[in-house]
Amino acid sequence: MKLPPFAYARARSVDEALELLGEAGGDAKLVAGGQSLVPVLAYRLFRPARLVDVDSVSGLDGIVERNGEHEVGALVRHARLERAELGGAHRLLALAARHIGHAPIRTRGTLGGSLGHADPAAELPVAALALDARVVARSARGEREIAMDDFLLGPFSTALEPDEMIVALRVPAAPARSFAGFREFALRSGDFALASVGVVVAFDEDGAVSRARVVVGGVEPVPRSLDALPLGARLDPDTIAEVAHVAAASCAPADDRTVDAATRRDLVAALVRGALTDVGAQAA
Amino acid sequence: MSIVGSSIERARDVALVTGRGRFVADVDLPRQLHARVIRSPVARAALAGVGSEAALARRGVVAVVTAQDVPDVRIPIRLPVAATANAELALQPLLARDSVRYVGEPVAVVVAEDPWLAEDAAELVELDLDYGDEAAVVDPSDAAAAEAPLVDPALGSNVVDVFPTVFGDVEAAFVEADVVVRRRLRVGRHTAVPMETRGLVAEHDPETGRLTIWGAAKVKHFNRGVIANLLGLEPEAVRLVEVDVGGGFGVRGELYPEDVIVPFLALSLGRPVKWIEDRAEHLVATNHAREQIHEIAVAARADGTLLAFEDRAWCDQGAYVRTQGLLPSMLPGLHLPGPYVWQAFSVTTHAVLTNRTPVGTYRGPGMTEATFVRERMVDLVAGELSIDLIELRRRNLVPAERMPFTYDLGPGAPPIVYGSGDYPAFFERLLTEARIEDLKAEGVGVGVAATVELGGIGPFEEASVEALEDGTVVVRAGVASLGQGIETALAQIAADELGVPVERVVVHHHDTDDVESGFGSFASRSAVVAGNAVALAARELRERAAGTDFAALVAAGETRGRFEKEHPSFSFGAAVSAVAVDEETGRVTALRHVVAHDVGRAVNPALVHGQLAGGAAQGIAGALFEELPYDEDGNPLALSLADYAMPTLSEVPPIETIALESEVLDNPLGIKGAGEGGITSAPAAVANAVADALGQAGRAVDRLPLTPARVRAMLRESDEEGR
Repeated sequence: MKLPPFAYARARSVDEALELLGEAGGDAKLVAGGQSLVPVLAYRLFRPARLVDVDSVSGLDGIVERNGEHEVGALVRHARLERAELGGAHRLLALAARHIGHAPIRTRGTLGGSLGHADPAAELPVAALALDARVVARSARGEREIAMDDFLLGPFSTALEPDEMIVALRVPAAPARSFAGFREFALRSGDFALASVGVVVAFDEDGAVSRARVVVGGVEPVPRSLDALPLGARLDPDTIAEVAHVAAASCAPADDRTVDAATRRDLVAALVRGALTDVGAQAA
Repeated sequence: MSIVGSSIERARDVALVTGRGRFVADVDLPRQLHARVIRSPVARAALAGVGSEAALARRGVVAVVTAQDVPDVRIPIRLPVAATANAELALQPLLARDSVRYVGEPVAVVVAEDPWLAEDAAELVELDLDYGDEAAVVDPSDAAAAEAPLVDPALGSNVVDVFPTVFGDVEAAFVEADVVVRRRLRVGRHTAVPMETRGLVAEHDPETGRLTIWGAAKVKHFNRGVIANLLGLEPEAVRLVEVDVGGGFGVRGELYPEDVIVPFLALSLGRPVKWIEDRAEHLVATNHAREQIHEIAVAARADGTLLAFEDRAWCDQGAYVRTQGLLPSMLPGLHLPGPYVWQAFSVTTHAVLTNRTPVGTYRGPGMTEATFVRERMVDLVAGELSIDLIELRRRNLVPAERMPFTYDLGPGAPPIVYGSGDYPAFFERLLTEARIEDLKAEGVGVGVAATVELGGIGPFEEASVEALEDGTVVVRAGVASLGQGIETALAQIAADELGVPVERVVVHHHDTDDVESGFGSFASRSAVVAGNAVALAARELRERAAGTDFAALVAAGETRGRFEKEHPSFSFGAAVSAVAVDEETGRVTALRHVVAHDVGRAVNPALVHGQLAGGAAQGIAGALFEELPYDEDGNPLALSLADYAMPTLSEVPPIETIALESEVLDNPLGIKGAGEGGITSAPAAVANAVADALGQAGRAVDRLPLTPARVRAMLRESDEEGR
């Protein structure tokens, strides 16, 4: 469990990081908090030629609001996100961040790291997808936005080019009267989720559902938005039970040694029910 | 005032909590080299050769050794009672010779100037493996079938030993029965995971010819003899030194291949060699434990009288028989009867090889599994007869007036003798202190388990006591400190006998040069056997002293005590556990656990509490969380502590302990062991609590650990049956 050999360089700015990344010609890996990467290195499952440390790059740790849109810097730590005062549906980021690992992990781990690592069981990609957020990626070639739907390609695989670096997540303004809920199931507190659910629901003035996102994480190779909550519905217990049932049935969970597919579906049903009940309580 | 019986702080507490402990990883010697063990990546294959050229060519690499370079010897069985001719054929070599038998088996060792270089070079060693057609053997009951592939074709069978235990006329008792309940019960493979992994530093001094090994634990003197023997040295030429040990729990300190390889390397390379096991290695290299399958039938009368049982069990050994691998197969026979009166019983356990990490003793070996099996069955019998399960236990506990109570196991087998204890009174005390009626009224799942546990085994310990002019008293004893506080308990015993303040007593146990003999720390024996040896030596010193002052003690010189213990002691124990089950997700939350255990007399109540609470936490872990699963090809699936779900403080409930006291006549101090009392009853009590919480569906509780997936499966099945 000793790390394999690699070259190490510390970047002070985004430009310097991009330069170091470009020099390595695709065989470099960014590291910030190191909470996912270092264990992977210790097990020698991955051996990049160079680590570019962006942990002390300045200007990426802000949470800025413009006309209801939030831009969250890539170096914002989970511990900060967990305590951030985000209103309405955007609160989902804070709710999700609370479930990541243990306090020391949240103190170091970063938003950009979690998105870029793309662990299928990670919390923040679920929240970002449910919020229709966009990843802001920069390279020597310029900056682009990638919608979360297009960003996550598979387990530990994203649309990021080898010379690109995540600099922020943009979370579009949510409609008025929108609320969020996040639930997850792990064997032990702080473990990776065996299933997680992030929901965002907006209601019209009559209290009917006007927009809904139900995203399931840790169940399929990438988090996925399920078409489970019909527009116009009312979030009463019967509807919630039905949505939970539909959501569970529409998942295609793999059997793994910890949880078989049938139990994973049971978990999805329980989590969807819980998350929508949370939303219902806020809306009431 | 007596210091025995008071909860003084452990001697090492301050050093350990202020970071001044010294563990084996902290031992560094000038010019030391670092060893990295290359382990088999597959469960079963022929080993045609090892390619070491690329690794040897690396900068900083000093040697690559394979089976051809090390002595062709086997790691022996430690307790001779368990050794049989068959088992002797299944012992492990230092490095795999012409086949590999489990993932994690040592095949070669790279020695380099630092541990990073060693690990880098280890990746370059090529193993020439031929997988052949035979499937890996992964299930102990399948392994015993006649047509099963063989772990070692030369043995002709995967069953390396069969242990029968018989009392009374089982057939006649079953004829009398109104009800017979049959079940197949299974305990999952899991093990102790001490915070500190294994490790060794070995140094050979060519001037004196002596070999010194740091990092010993548990059984230093036995290991010294074996290492000397296997390396062709005189025992006096080998010195084992114990530094601080971060937990033992049975697995740490037994003799493993690395314990011989590392000293061999120090001898042959002429430089000190250090090896520290990492956590990934630990999970495949250190002894596994617990996996047993029991097929049991229990016969009872309609009034709830237990009559007899018949049990056949398959006990996993893994790929080789290790030092104590057979013990978990032997002990269920002595523990299945438990605290109840039976007319007859018959137990046949099979020790079975599989292509997986070898098995050893983990705190409460064989007895914890047996307690789960019996106590689950007692609940099922109670359910079958519609008798309250506590009431059924009350009716069958061995009554106080029948003590000492004996199960005669026939010629050639030592009898089971329960020496002392008022079992019904102990049981009532637990129920009262646990406020069981209130718990039941809360609507949570409540489980009960009772047990009788073997501990305090001999054959003997020796100790010496000496008062020095500097005002200290030096006690020497051949036991091991694994963090349990034995040095504090022994100091308390010596202080009382001598009438000196306990702070003045220094206990030496660390070094085979300093302490002549010792059997070590296992089977809840150190305080009982070494404690009495210390007491005898101290009494002798007190008697020999001409006066009552300290100078008279100094003048009396050194005294020695030897305490022999022919028979083990049996202690009553019981637990009440409360759980909540979330039926939607299958999650079991342990809410409260109360454990009572007969310690005879508590030398240090705080230490007893620590032992019982720590053991109970591990028992809860094995009941709900910890498992070492394998796939069908024999690949281990729990490779890190992310997969191996040791519970944290968030998952373990408050644990209340009750040190029961009884009159113990088999030793002058009147004490019984405490080391395993917390764990033995815990999985059984938790399993019964889960069954209680699940109601009708809970009758299917037959397997540990009770993970969310297994609980959900039981609930789904019960729903389908209900439809």
